[in-house]
This record gives sequence, structure tokens and C-alpha cells, in this order.
Amino acid sequence: MNAAAPVFRRSRTSKIVDRLMRGVLWAIALTFVAVLILFVGAILKQGWPVLNLGFLTKMPETLDAGGGIKPQIFNSIYLVILSLGISLPVGLGAGIYMAAYAGQGRALRFLRLCIETLAATPSIVLALFGMIVFVQAMGWSFSIRSGALTLALLNIPVITRVTEVSLLAVPRELKEASYGLGATKLQTILKVALPYAATGILTGLVLTAGRAFGESAILVFTAGTNASAHFPDFRLTVPGETLSVHLWYVTSDGTLPDAREIAAGTAAVMILVLLTLNLLVRLVDRAIRRRTR
Amino acid sequence: MPQAPEVSIAAAPEGGYPVLEEGLRPAAASAPTFKHSRLQRLADRWAHLGFLICSLLVVVLIGGILYFLATRGLAAFLPLAGNTGRALSFSEVFLSADWAPSSDRFGILPFIAGSLGVTGLALLIAAPAGVLTGVFIAKMAPAWMRNLMRQVMDLLVGIPSVVYGIFGLTVVLPLVSRTWLADAPASGFAVSALILAVMIVPTIVSLSTDAFESLPAALDEGAQALGSSRWQAIWRVLIPAARPRLLTATVLGLGRAIGEAMAVQMVIGNNPQWMALMRESTDRAPFLRALFTPAATLTTELVQELPNTAAGSTWNNVLFAMGLLLYLLTMVLILATRRLGRGKEA
Repeated sequence: MNAAAPVFRRSRTSKIVDRLMRGVLWAIALTFVAVLILFVGAILKQGWPVLNLGFLTKMPETLDAGGGIKPQIFNSIYLVILSLGISLPVGLGAGIYMAAYAGQGRALRFLRLCIETLAATPSIVLALFGMIVFVQAMGWSFSIRSGALTLALLNIPVITRVTEVSLLAVPRELKEASYGLGATKLQTILKVALPYAATGILTGLVLTAGRAFGESAILVFTAGTNASAHFPDFRLTVPGETLSVHLWYVTSDGTLPDAREIAAGTAAVMILVLLTLNLLVRLVDRAIRRRTR
Repeated sequence: MPQAPEVSIAAAPEGGYPVLEEGLRPAAASAPTFKHSRLQRLADRWAHLGFLICSLLVVVLIGGILYFLATRGLAAFLPLAGNTGRALSFSEVFLSADWAPSSDRFGILPFIAGSLGVTGLALLIAAPAGVLTGVFIAKMAPAWMRNLMRQVMDLLVGIPSVVYGIFGLTVVLPLVSRTWLADAPASGFAVSALILAVMIVPTIVSLSTDAFESLPAALDEGAQALGSSRWQAIWRVLIPAARPRLLTATVLGLGRAIGEAMAVQMVIGNNPQWMALMRESTDRAPFLRALFTPAATLTTELVQELPNTAAGSTWNNVLFAMGLLLYLLTMVLILATRRLGRGKEA
């Protein structure tokens, strides 16, 4: 064997291939940028003519044109808050357990497996579960409470994972110092580790909220496709159609003469909300990074 | 790192030292350093219990979903008292392409084939594009481009599936129909797979970016020292080295694609008889035709028909069996990612 011979041949062709593939990689990446711009542009452009104060503050029509999306906006926010309220304590608890108590053995591996499975479970499957348990077995029918509980199942694995990762990123010195000062394990977690991890968890929470806000499959089968005629209706027992469900329902139902416009407007509102959330996360992230630097 | 003897939490000395994670324990394992008050000890123990219950809840959920879906899904095959119809055999459900619930025929093969078809097509686009974008972000792009791509992927993953659906319905379908199909309807596998591909690409990109970034720098440097071009290093060293995790990324993308319901439902055309339609067609290019034939998948059929069926009817039970199938598939996929990752770092 000749040790001096180069392992990679640098021929003319290899140079051309290298050039070519660099170009291909740039092209693929830029394609995704273009797809996103096109996508957001098209949705906003379609929805723009519909977007006005009336659309946002009127009740929806069932048969005539010109309805608004006021109760759907309310239901979307209400359901996101309720579902986060349910999933936050559970997700935090499970995440803390996995980061600080479960050790490194078989128990942790099994818990991780369960979290991953739940995270990968299609939302339509969660919808079926919610339909069997909350809608039918509990007799709650299509209601805000059925929807919020099922939606929480979607959030729990995400919050758990974010909590675990953020807690594991807490520097060991901090925890050691806390123990060294005589803190108990609980005090160390609550007063040292969680505050340090809070920004990470908060970022994850906002992203989870965005996901819950956009979820539709689960809510079609648990919160229903009707919105209460009262506004604002805080009752947990009434059906609660959200923006995403409304968008899907008017499109596939087809009884509204202006279903297209309503759908376009709703889609634009949703995109605007999600862009705002995304921007918020980014600003918070940047502020924190600047502070810690 | 000094390895302390395994001490379980239960065996920790009364009110004793805190057990830290990752095998890190106070050096003097025998003597508690601090005396904690009774209240502190009590709070510690109750909190531990609370956190444990939270994580057990997740385990219970995994089992609970399986149990409830199984009771409804398997009811289709059992002569149970609550059933309104007859008990079906497995072969007439899973091996038959004849879906005519009103005539008591429940073959779900078109939906299984539809799910596999649309997912396969989506992966055909998303897997190579995702992995290459991953390596681009991790190993080639300048910093500004890296940041831009991260933001683009964050936004793509955050767009709700119904918005993807409405985009497909109002932009992609008319465009494809106008440009390639002489105004014939374009709904079917092709457009569904295209939309799905964009939806799952962020998953594959972010996981494969992680995979490439976690490779030891020596691999890349070594390849370059041996005279490789950028692409040679990527193609012959980095991609093979990251392969287990790239496969994991693809499998997770697959899971997302096969479970997606609303976006696909809005563009695929929802035709349970698509296989029969294909069989009857005398088209010279059946594959191309299949791409633009209105079809249905497991998820789209659930969305389409579940609201119209009565609980306890055979029809309803078969739909739940389809849900059970999706859930079991998720479990298999997750276990597969475990297999793929074995031997590597967990």
C-alpha cells in the first residue's frame, strides 16, 4: 500500500461534481425559502380582501354570505389556554421527573419511549381516543371540555420533552452549589433549576400553544363543528368550533355561498397569529441571549 | 468521573443527601451533610411522588389509548352483544379492496394502499431533500444562510395542516390542473404527496442537521486532509457516518406523513373506490394516471366517514380498527427508530 497516495481522487470530474452538488444543495435550500414565501404570500393575498373589522367581530352565518369569525377566535384562544392549563402541570411534572429523578436506567428509557410514542401518535388517533372516552363514555358529547382534554394529550409530550431538555441544560455547578448550601432536592429544582430553565420552557410553551392553535383533527371529533350563539361563552359544556376547524368545515361542507372567502380570511388570520407568535419567540430568545452574553 | 455505587432513591438515608442525576453524587456517600427539617423532608417526598404520578400518567395514556381503540376496533371482528352487525373476518377487511359499507362490505385495502402510496411518494421527495438540506445547514451554508434556513423550517413546521390544505386546494390543485392536465381535476396522490412532503421536511431537516452537527469534527477534517472535495467528504464520509440517525429522521418523517389527516383529506379527492377505478382503466400509463386519480387513505377516510356512522355499528367499528392500525403502526415506527439508533449514542 502506498501511504502517500491521496485517498480521494481530485480529478477534473470530481471538481465539476463538487461544483454541481454545491449548486444543487443551494438550490434545494433556496427552494424551501421560496416555497415558504410563496405560501405565506398566497394565503395573505387571498385573505387580505376579506380581512376587516367586521369579519373579525361578527357572528358567523349558517346559510348566508357575510358571516364573521368572532366566536371561533374566542374558542381558539379559550381552548389553547384550557389545554395548556391541563398539560402544563403534567408535562412539567413528568419532565422534572425524567430530568431529576428517573436516574439513567431502564425506567428512564421506558419513560422516554412512552413520551416519544405519544409525541408521534397521529392527532387523528388521539381524536378517536378522545371521542371514545370524553365524548361518548363520559357523556360530554362535543364540547369545550372534551376538546380541551384531548388537545392536552397533544401538548403533554412536547412540554415534557422541552422541560426535560431545559433542565438537563442547567449547569451542574449551579445544582451543586445549591446542594452545598443545604437545599433539599425539591428546593434545588424549584428555586435554582426551574428559574434557569424557565426561558427554554417558555419558548417551548409558546410553540406548543401555536401547535394547539392550529390543530384541527382532534377538535373536529371532540369539540365539534358548531360555535355557541352566545358571546363570550365560557361554559365548558357547549361545542367549541375553533378557527382551524371552521376553516376546514366551511371548505368541506359547502353550504355557505362565500365559503371560499371565509376560508381564505380565516387562513390569513391564523397565519398572522402564528407569525406573531414566532416573532415573539425570536424576540424573547434574542433578548435573553443578549442578557446572558 | 468517579463512579459511586448504585443507590436507589428509596434507599437514600433518612432526610439524606440529594441524589443528583447522571451518577453524580456527593463524594462522601455515607454521611448526610445537612439535616433537613421534617417539613422539608415531607415536601421532598410528596413532590417526588407528584412528579412520578405525572410521568406515570403518560405511561397510562399510552396503554389507555391502545385499550380503548382495541375495544372498539376489535369489536368488528368479534360476535359481541353490543354489535348491530355480524362479526367480520380479518381477511375480508384487510385483504379486500371492496369498500361498500352500505352493502356490508368492508375491505380497507384501498385505504392502506392509499396511505402507503401517498406516504411513500412524499418520502421520495422529502427524504433526499431533507437530508441534503440538513447537511447543507450543518456543513456548508454560511452563518446567515444557516439562520435563515432555521427560521424557514420553524415557520414551515408551525403552519397548521388545514392551512396547508387550503393552500393545496386553492393554489396547487388549480395550478397543476391548468398547466399539465388540460383543466382536468388534479386531486390525488401527486398533489397530496407534494403538500405532505413540505409538511414533513422540517422534521427530517432538523433531525438530520442535528445528526451532522453531532458527528466528530475529526471525520470532516480527516476527509479534507486526505484531499476530499466538499462534496466528496459529504457523500463518502459524513452521510455514511450519520446514516443511522438519518434513517431515524426519515422514519419519524414517515410517521408524521402517515398520520396526517386534514391536509391530505382536503386535496386527495376522497374516493374509496380508487383501486377499482384503476383496475378498470385501460390507460397506457397506469402509474401516471394513478397520480391524479382521486383516492383515499386511512386518515382521510376516518375524517370523511366517522361523523356519519353510529357508535356500535360494524361500519363504525371498522373505522376504529383503522385508527387502531395507525396507532400500532406508530408504535412499530418508534420501536424501529430505537433499533436504528442502537449501538450509537442513545
